[in-house]
Amino acid sequence: MKWKKRKPYISTDLEEASPLRNFDPRAKLFLSLCASVVVMLPLQRLVIFLGIYILFIIWSRLFFRFLTQLDKIKWILIILFIVDWLVVSLQLAVEVTLRLTVITSVFTVLISTTTPGELALALERLGLPYRFAFSIKLAFQSLGMLEQEWQAIWEAQKSRGVLSDIMNIRTIFTKLGDLVSLTVPAIVLATKQAWVITESATARGFDSPMRKPYHQLSFTTRDWVLSIISAGLVATLIFWR
Amino acid sequence: MKPLLYSEKVSFTYPQTHRSCGPLSLSLRQGESALVHGPSGGGKSTLARCLAGLIPHLYHGQMTGDVWIGDHNTKEMRSWEIAREVGFVFQNPATQMVASTVEDELLFGLENLGLPGEEIKTRLDFVVDQFDLNSFLKRSPHTLSGGEQQKLSLAAIIAMQPSVLIMDEPLSMLDSSAAYEFIDLLKEQLEEGKSLVFFEHRLPYLQDFPSLKRIPLGIAGNEQTGSQIPSLPYPEKAGAFSIHVQGLTVSFGKKKILNDLNLEFEGGQLVALIGRNGSGKTTLLRSLAGLQPFEGTIHVIGDGQDESDFPQLNMVFQNPDTQLFNPTGEEILYKIQSPNLELYEWLIQALKLEKYQETQPLLLSEGEKRRLALAIAIMHPHHHGILLDEPSLGQDQAHKDLLIELLKTISRAGYLVFFATHDIELAANADRMILIGEKGIIADGPTRNILQNHNAWQQAGLILPHWIAP
Repeated sequence: MKWKKRKPYISTDLEEASPLRNFDPRAKLFLSLCASVVVMLPLQRLVIFLGIYILFIIWSRLFFRFLTQLDKIKWILIILFIVDWLVVSLQLAVEVTLRLTVITSVFTVLISTTTPGELALALERLGLPYRFAFSIKLAFQSLGMLEQEWQAIWEAQKSRGVLSDIMNIRTIFTKLGDLVSLTVPAIVLATKQAWVITESATARGFDSPMRKPYHQLSFTTRDWVLSIISAGLVATLIFWR
Repeated sequence: MKPLLYSEKVSFTYPQTHRSCGPLSLSLRQGESALVHGPSGGGKSTLARCLAGLIPHLYHGQMTGDVWIGDHNTKEMRSWEIAREVGFVFQNPATQMVASTVEDELLFGLENLGLPGEEIKTRLDFVVDQFDLNSFLKRSPHTLSGGEQQKLSLAAIIAMQPSVLIMDEPLSMLDSSAAYEFIDLLKEQLEEGKSLVFFEHRLPYLQDFPSLKRIPLGIAGNEQTGSQIPSLPYPEKAGAFSIHVQGLTVSFGKKKILNDLNLEFEGGQLVALIGRNGSGKTTLLRSLAGLQPFEGTIHVIGDGQDESDFPQLNMVFQNPDTQLFNPTGEEILYKIQSPNLELYEWLIQALKLEKYQETQPLLLSEGEKRRLALAIAIMHPHHHGILLDEPSLGQDQAHKDLLIELLKTISRAGYLVFFATHDIELAANADRMILIGEKGIIADGPTRNILQNHNAWQQAGLILPHWIAP
């Protein structure tokens, strides 16, 4: 059998070819904020926004990445759609699915074109204390690592026969207690990792009041254009009668 | 000349476990180096953190004695002030990276120093050049090999220009070539006037290190040492069998990690697998454990098996934290129907876990956790043997002796014991050694023959330490 390396659920690889890669992260954060507001709009306006946003994603050369991300969450979308349809209505099912799709696309655009370091710098420039910006950066950075650790725990428990019972659909409800075999090691590993990073950062002067970032951000004309278009589009969709 | 680093009877007691370590007294002047060595669980990592000022600033517990950096007591300094003078290299470079690119990793400490941009640029260029990191700058630190990561962690600290370097088992994750390369970089730092303190198990690698003061650490820790295992025979015997690996190929995307490997193993063999970091050692073990999809075939013959049967080999993973969640005794017996209690008693005695049977895994030392993970793998029903990934990581010589005695005992009972390691001293105890490189198996045969095959070691890109006699 040929093994295809499983891609992580959230890919943090950068899309260097995207024109958005060179935009100021603050402009991309503002775009994400605008798109997050749109999620709350009624169905018709949501569809219009999604259409425009998909054109934007195609221009950004992120369409394939967007599809890949959708593919990874397809089961969540399908289950939500069916449950909402059966329990409430078809309209709610479509609305919820589209909202989740918009949120996914927003997240894809941001993390595919911004490094965690750039994101932290943008947050710092927007007034967030460095300590918190650094924590958010680490959280983004750790997504891939947490998934690897989860995989390692899964394999270690599977190899000693613990998981075969959990994964048996007939006994899953009576064996929920065994899930502790996954969660306890996961908590231990995540806590240890957080502690090692704390030690490593402290040993390199993390809490220094004299810190000066080396990289600088510059908000240029194209960033203003992107921000104004984002704000204009959202305002139009909200106030259009 | 005044000492750069001075400590007097420093010791530390953890509040939860009341484990204590120390005392450590040490005085280092510019250009001097020290090696603190002692048994596993003796508190070397803790004392290293005392010298680096992480204790008492980050840890709760009782620290006695004082550490002085020049004229300043670390208890009265802030942690960022200590970081200007003392650099700390951790045991596992992979877990200590704070940035998403090599360049940002190097910049992290420099930014914290509050230096002007031009000075940061000058220092960055200097370390990139000195440590030959230019081709990695935009890569994620997590894509580098273990040796490259350790080099990066040192470079990130050297860029900050501390006067003292403290290192907690910096060689433990490195293969022999990477270890020698790392030591050469440290010798350069010593020549430039830095003072170095090693907390290390792999002592022979440092035997020629210049102006090295050796400071043995007493057994203040609570961990038992010694290499005696029960004289009783291993309670279970295996039937005769052989395992056949044919055309084993594992690809990650387009990259072939293992390519068309052919191997045969017999029950009763103790086999060591040696190769550089990233040569596919873990992937081969995972394939044999049935955790890794592959092309080719792996089957077992004999012991009443069909030819199509996959061998039943239990794996001991590199990081024991991935599987521990019960008190020691319960953990060993977890999910085993009708356990062999004779084997259980034998194991806890052999692995010196008797007094920890009710102890939660969080309260065990790293060495104890490793021994517990080994006990789990042995206790779990296995018809053909066990696989071990880097079993000696962070273990002192006494524990390595204990480990190898135990592995020999299990193999003598007819089981296959196959371990991957970069610890050539440990591997030298095996009956058979397999050298693996990027292009596959380089040499396979009796350990004595492999140790004499200098051409094979060269092909594997590994340096055979001179103190390991065939």
